[in-house]
Amino acid sequence: MTDLAGGLVQSIDWLAVAPPTILAVVALAVLVADLFVDEARRPLLGWAAVGGLVLAGLSLLPLLNGARTTFCLTTGAHNCSYVADHFTLAIQLLVIGGALLTALLSLHNQDRLPTGEFWFLLLSSAAGAALLPASRDLATLVVALEVVSLPSFALVGLRRSDRLSSEAALKFFLSSVTATAVMLLGVSFVYAATGTLHLGALSDGLTHAPAQLVTLAKTGAVLTLVGFAFKLGVAPFHFWVPDTYAGAPLPVAAYLSVVGKAAGFSGLILVTVIAFKPYGDVWGPALAVLAALTMTVGNVAALRQRPEHPRSAVRLLAWSSIGQAGYLLVPLAAAGYVADPRHQIGATVSYALMYTVVNLGAFGVAALVLRSDALNRITDYRGLYARRPLAALALAFFLLCLAGLPPGIIGLFAKVVVFSSAVDAGLGWLAVIMAVNVVIALYYYLRWTALLFVRPEPVPGEAAAVRTPASLTAAIAAAAVVGIALSGAPQLVLRFASGSLF
Amino acid sequence: MATVASADAVGGVRGTTDVHLAAGYFHAYTVVGLVAVVGVLFVAVAFAAGHLLRPVVPTREKMLTYECGVDPVGEGWAQTQIRYYVYSFLYVIFAVDAIYLFPWATVFAAPGFGGTTLVEMFIFIGFLAVGLLYAWKKGVLEWT
Repeated sequence: MTDLAGGLVQSIDWLAVAPPTILAVVALAVLVADLFVDEARRPLLGWAAVGGLVLAGLSLLPLLNGARTTFCLTTGAHNCSYVADHFTLAIQLLVIGGALLTALLSLHNQDRLPTGEFWFLLLSSAAGAALLPASRDLATLVVALEVVSLPSFALVGLRRSDRLSSEAALKFFLSSVTATAVMLLGVSFVYAATGTLHLGALSDGLTHAPAQLVTLAKTGAVLTLVGFAFKLGVAPFHFWVPDTYAGAPLPVAAYLSVVGKAAGFSGLILVTVIAFKPYGDVWGPALAVLAALTMTVGNVAALRQRPEHPRSAVRLLAWSSIGQAGYLLVPLAAAGYVADPRHQIGATVSYALMYTVVNLGAFGVAALVLRSDALNRITDYRGLYARRPLAALALAFFLLCLAGLPPGIIGLFAKVVVFSSAVDAGLGWLAVIMAVNVVIALYYYLRWTALLFVRPEPVPGEAAAVRTPASLTAAIAAAAVVGIALSGAPQLVLRFASGSLF
Repeated sequence: MATVASADAVGGVRGTTDVHLAAGYFHAYTVVGLVAVVGVLFVAVAFAAGHLLRPVVPTREKMLTYECGVDPVGEGWAQTQIRYYVYSFLYVIFAVDAIYLFPWATVFAAPGFGGTTLVEMFIFIGFLAVGLLYAWKKGVLEWT
C-alpha cells in the first residue's frame, strides 16, 4: 500500500473494536448456520452463542493495559469516535456478562422460540450494547442505541402465539421509537448550535456557542437526555417497563432489565459528563428531580403489587428495576454539581455492576420457579425453602442484596457509595429521599424473602419433581458465586468509585 | 460536503449579521403560518356555512357511500397478497444499497483507495446477501 493509500483508507485498531465485532460476527454466523442445520442439532446454536459471548469477554483482556482509540479525525483536534478506556471496559464487561447469563437462562426452553432468530437477535443487541459505551460521537451513540433497541423489540414479541407478548412488543416499540425521534431532534439542535458531533468537541462548542443559539443548544441537550431517559425507564417515561417485562419471555425481561438499562445509563453518562459538561447546572438539578421521582414511583408501585395476581413476580421485579434505575441516577445527578465527576461516575458503574449480578440471579430463580408454576405469582414462592433449599437461599441472598441488607454486603456497600456521592455533592435532600425509598423497598423485598421460608401448605398429590436443566443451575450458581465473592471482597467493584475510570 | 461548506460560511460571518438573518428566517415562517391559518379558516367557514344553509332530507340512496356516481358493489374490505409486501421490502433494501454503490463506484479505482475499499464494499454487499439468503431459505421468494 502506498503512502497515499494510507492517507485515504483509515486504519482500524481491530483489537480495540474486537468485543462488539466478535458479537456481531457470531450473531451472523448463528443466523446463517440456523438455515442449514437440521432440527436435532439446533441446540448447538445456543452453545455457539454462549461461546461467542465468552470469546467477546476474553477479548476484553488485552485492552486492560490502557486507553486505545480508533476511528479518529485526522485533521484538527484529536477527536475519536471509538475509545476503549476503563469506563468502556467496565460497561462492556457488564453487558457481555449480562448477555452470557441471559443466554444460560434461555438455553433450556428453546422449543417455543425460533432458535436461530433468538440467538441472532440477542447477540446483535448485545453487540450494540457493547459498542455504546465506547462511542464518543453522537451519531455512533444513536446508532449503537438503536442496535440495542431494534432487536429487543423482536425479542420481546418472539412468542408469536402469545397475545400478551405481542402487546408488550408493540408498547415497547412505540415508546422507544418516540424516544428515538425526540432524541434525534435534540441531536440535530445540538449539531446546529455547535457544528460538531464529537462529544469532546461538543463541550467546547457549547461553551463558545453564539449567544442567540444558546436556547437552541439547551433545548437540544434536554431533548437528547429525554431520549436516553426513555430507554433507562426513568419516570415519567417508565410506563412501558412493567407491561413489557411481564409480556416478554422471562430471559428477555432479565436481559432488558440489565443490558437495556446499562445501554441507557452509559449513554446518559457519556452525554452528560463529556458533551454537556458546560450545562451541568441545568442537567444536574433536572437529573436529581428525575432520580427522586423515579425511585419513588418505582418503589411505591412495587409496594402495591398483589402477590396473588398472575405474573406478579416479574411485575414486582420490573417495578423494583425502575426504583433501582432511580438509585443509578443519583450519582449522575451529583456529577452535575462537582468539578471532577469521576467519583460519581465510578459510583454509578459499581452500583450497576452489583445490580446486574443480583438482578439476573433473581430472574434466574424466577425462571426456575416458572418451570413448575406457570403463573409466576409471588405466592408460588411460598415455602420454596422446603422444596428447593438452595434456590430459595440464592433468591433470598439476591433480594437482600437488592434491598441493601447484610448478608448482601455488596448491595449495602454499593448503596452507601451512591449515598455518599449525593452527600458529597451537597444533595442532602436527595440523600434523604433515597433513604426513605430504601426503607420502602425493604418492605416488599423482605416480605418476598420471608415468604420463601414459610412452612408450605400440604399439597394433595405431590407434583412430579421437575428436573432442573444444568444451564439454568449454572446461571443461578454463577450469579450467586459472583454475588458472594463481591460481598467478601467489595473492593473489586467499589474501586471504580475511587475515580479510576476515565 | 455542501452542508459542511455552508456551515463554515455561516461561521465566518457569525456575529452582527446573524440577528438579521434570524429575523428574516422567522419572517419567512410567519408567512407559512398565516397561509395555514387562512386555509383552516376557509375550510371551516365553507363547511359551517354549508351546514347552516342546506336543507336536510336524508334518503337511503343519499346515505350510500359515494363511488363515482354508481351504487357501491361488494365489500369495503379488500385484502392484498402479503407477498407483495415482502417483495417490495426486499426491493427497497437493494434499492437503498445502490445509494452507497454509486458514489463508491466513481472513486474506488482512483489512486489511494485500492483493494481495501473494494473489500469493504463486498463486505457490505455480503451483509445484504445474508438477508437475501435468509429470505430464500425461509421460502419467502416462492410465490405459490
